[in-house]
Amino acid sequence: MIALLGPEIAWYLSVAAFLFATGALGVLLRRNPLIVLLSLEIMLNGGNLALIGFSRNLGDGGGQIFALTVMAVAASEVVVGLGLVVALNRKRITLDVDRLNTLRG
Amino acid sequence: MVWGAWICLISPLAAACLITIGGQRLSRRAAGWISTASCFVAFGGAVAAFVGLLTHSASDRDFISTAWTWITGGSYQSGLSVLIDPLSTFMMLIVAGVGALIVWYSIGYMDGDDEERRYFAYMSLFVFSMLLLVQAGNLLLLLAGWGMVGLSSYLLIGYWHDRPSAVAAAKKAFIMNAIGDATMALAFFLLIEKAGSLDFGILGGQYSSTVANLVALGLLGGAVAKSAQIPLHTWLPDAMEGPTPVSALIHAATMVTAGVYLIVRTHAIFEQAPQVANLAADLGAATLLMAGLIALVQVDIKRVIAYSTMSQIGYMFLGAGVGSYPNAMFHLMTHAFFKALLFMTAGIVIHALVDEQDIRKMGGLRQLAPRTYWAFVVGALALVGIFPFAGFFSKDPILAAAMAKGGAYGYILWAAGLAGTFLTGLYTFRLLFVVFWGEPSAFVREHFHPLGRDVVAFSLAIPVGVLGVLSVIGGWIQFSPWWHPIETWLRPVAEPIVNPSSWQEWTSITLSLLLGLTGIAVAWALYGAHRVTVPRVAWVQHTLEHKFYFDEVYDALFYEPAVALANFLRRDVEKPLIADSGEDLGADTRDLGTIVARTQTGLVRSYALAIASSVAVLAIVFVIVK
Repeated sequence: MIALLGPEIAWYLSVAAFLFATGALGVLLRRNPLIVLLSLEIMLNGGNLALIGFSRNLGDGGGQIFALTVMAVAASEVVVGLGLVVALNRKRITLDVDRLNTLRG
Repeated sequence: MVWGAWICLISPLAAACLITIGGQRLSRRAAGWISTASCFVAFGGAVAAFVGLLTHSASDRDFISTAWTWITGGSYQSGLSVLIDPLSTFMMLIVAGVGALIVWYSIGYMDGDDEERRYFAYMSLFVFSMLLLVQAGNLLLLLAGWGMVGLSSYLLIGYWHDRPSAVAAAKKAFIMNAIGDATMALAFFLLIEKAGSLDFGILGGQYSSTVANLVALGLLGGAVAKSAQIPLHTWLPDAMEGPTPVSALIHAATMVTAGVYLIVRTHAIFEQAPQVANLAADLGAATLLMAGLIALVQVDIKRVIAYSTMSQIGYMFLGAGVGSYPNAMFHLMTHAFFKALLFMTAGIVIHALVDEQDIRKMGGLRQLAPRTYWAFVVGALALVGIFPFAGFFSKDPILAAAMAKGGAYGYILWAAGLAGTFLTGLYTFRLLFVVFWGEPSAFVREHFHPLGRDVVAFSLAIPVGVLGVLSVIGGWIQFSPWWHPIETWLRPVAEPIVNPSSWQEWTSITLSLLLGLTGIAVAWALYGAHRVTVPRVAWVQHTLEHKFYFDEVYDALFYEPAVALANFLRRDVEKPLIADSGEDLGADTRDLGTIVARTQTGLVRSYALAIASSVAVLAIVFVIVK
C-alpha cells in the first residue's frame, strides 16, 4: 500500500484511548441510563477509531469492516437500550441505574 | 411319536399366548375353552408319544429330539430338546390328562370371576411349564421348567391379588421354592465342573463319593422344596389361598410331585450317594407322619387335604428313597387321581357354600349334595388305601419296599408308613364325617345352594365324575404281588433296587388295610357316631395347631434376624451415610451459594467496574509478561 499520509498511528490511538476512557468514566459515574448509553457509544467509538487507525497503519481493510460491524451492533443496542429507557419512563420509574437493582442475589 | 411330544409341549404354551394376546377380544368362556382344549390336545400328543413308544422294543425306548442348540459356552452345550422315554411319557399322560380335567373344571369354578382370562392364561402357562419339566431332554432345561413351574405356582397362588393373605402365601411359596432352585443350580454347577455336561446320560458316570453326595444333596434340596417335604414344607398349606382348581392341579396332582419325578429321573446319582437317598426316605417318613398329625386338627377343608398331600408325597419320597422307583411313580399317578378328586369335590362344597372353607360351620351335606358326597367317599377311600380303590394298589408296595430295604432302618420306615396309614384313615374320615354327616348346620341351611343344570354345573361335575372313576379303577393297572405293567414299563429308565418278597408284600397289604380301617373306625367313633368324645390334651392340641411351630421357628431364625439387620442397617448405616450425606451436600451448596450471591449487587455500574478493572489488570499483566 502507498505510504501513509497524515499523523502517526500513536495520535490516533491516543484519541481513541481518550474517547474510551471518557466513555468508561461516564458509564461508571453517571446514574442516568440515557447518559450511560451515550457513554457506552463513546466507548464503542473509541474502539472503532482504534480499529480504523490500525487498519490504515497496516494497510488492511479488514479493520474497517470490523468498525462497520461494530456500528451496526451499536445501533441495535441503542434501539434496545432506548426502548428500555422509554418503557421505564412510561412506568414512571425513576431513571437511576442504582435503583434498578432487582437482580441482586 | 416325536411330533406327539412336541405338540404336547407346545399346545398349552400356544393357548397361554393366544389368551394373553386375545385379551378382551375373547369372551371369558372362550378363554376357558381354549385352555381346556389345549390341554386335551396336549393329552392327545402324550398318547401319541406313548403309543409311538409302545411300537418299539423295551430296550429301545429312549429318544431325544433336539429343536436347536440352546446354550453353548466353551465345550459346554445344551440343546432345546425333549426326551421321550417311558418315564417322561408316563408323566406327560398324568400332567396333560389330569390337567385337562382340572382346567375344564375351572370353567365352572371360576365362572363369574373378574379376571377369568388371566386365570386361564396362567393355568395354560403352568401346564406348559410342568410339561417342559417332565419332557426336558437335559438337566438345564429341566431346571428351566422347574423355575417356570415355581413362577406359575406363584402367579396362581397370588391370583386373588387383592387379598393380602394370598399375596403373602404366594411370596412364601416362591421364596421356599427359590431355596430349592438354588441348591439344584449349585448341584448342576458341580456337575458341569465334573462332567462338562448336563445331559441325563452323565448321571450314570462314576463320581467320587463327595461329589455324588453333594450333587444328590443339591437335587434333594430342590425336590424337597418343590414337593413340600420337611424342612421346606411350610408353603404348601398357605398355598391353599389360591383358587381350588389351582390347589387340585398344582398343589396336589402335578407340581408338588415334581420332586418325586426328579429323584426317580436322577436316581443314578442317588444310588451313588446312598446316605442322601436314605435322607430322602427319612424326610418322606417324617413328613408323612407330621403332616398326618397336623391334618387331625386343621379346620379348613382345603388345608386338611393339603396336609394329606404332603403326607402322601412323603410316601412317594419314602418309596423313591429306598429305591422302589416304579412304585413311587405309581403312587404319584393314583395320588394325582384321587387327590385331584378330593380337591375338586371340596371345591364343589366350597362353591355351594359361598366360599366358606371352615369345616366347623359345615355338616350334613350328605343329604343336600349326595353325589358330591359319594365322589368324596370314593376319593377318601382311595386316599386311605381301601380295597379296591386306587390308593390300595399303590401305597402298599411302597411299604413293602421299605420292608425289603431290610435291617432295623427299613423296619422303622415301614412302621412309620404304617402309622401314617392309620393317621390317613383318621383325618380323612374326620373330614368326611364332619362335613357330610350329621344334621345340616344352621350355616349350611342358610347358605347352601345346589348346582343348576347349566354349563357351570356340567363342567364341575364331569371332570369330578371322570376322576371318580379313575380313583376306583386307576389302581387296577398294577397289583404288585401278581402283575406289574407299570414296573415293567418304567424298568428301562428306573430299575428298582429293592425287590420285596411275596410275604413282605402280603404283610404290608394286610396290615395297612387293617390300620386304614382302624383309622376309619376311630374317626367314625369320634366324629361320625360321637360314641367317644374327642380327646383333648392341651399341649398336643397346641403343638398340632401351630404345625409343630415350624413357622414360628423360621420366623425367629430367619425372618426376625433379617428384619433386625435391615432395621439396623437403615438406622445406623443408611441414614448417617447415605440419607444424611445427601442432606449435608445440599445444605453446604446452599451456604456457598449464599456467600457467592453477595457479589450479585444488582447494580449495573458495579458490574461494569468489575469488568473494566479486570480488563485493566489483564492488560497490565499482558504488557508486563510480554
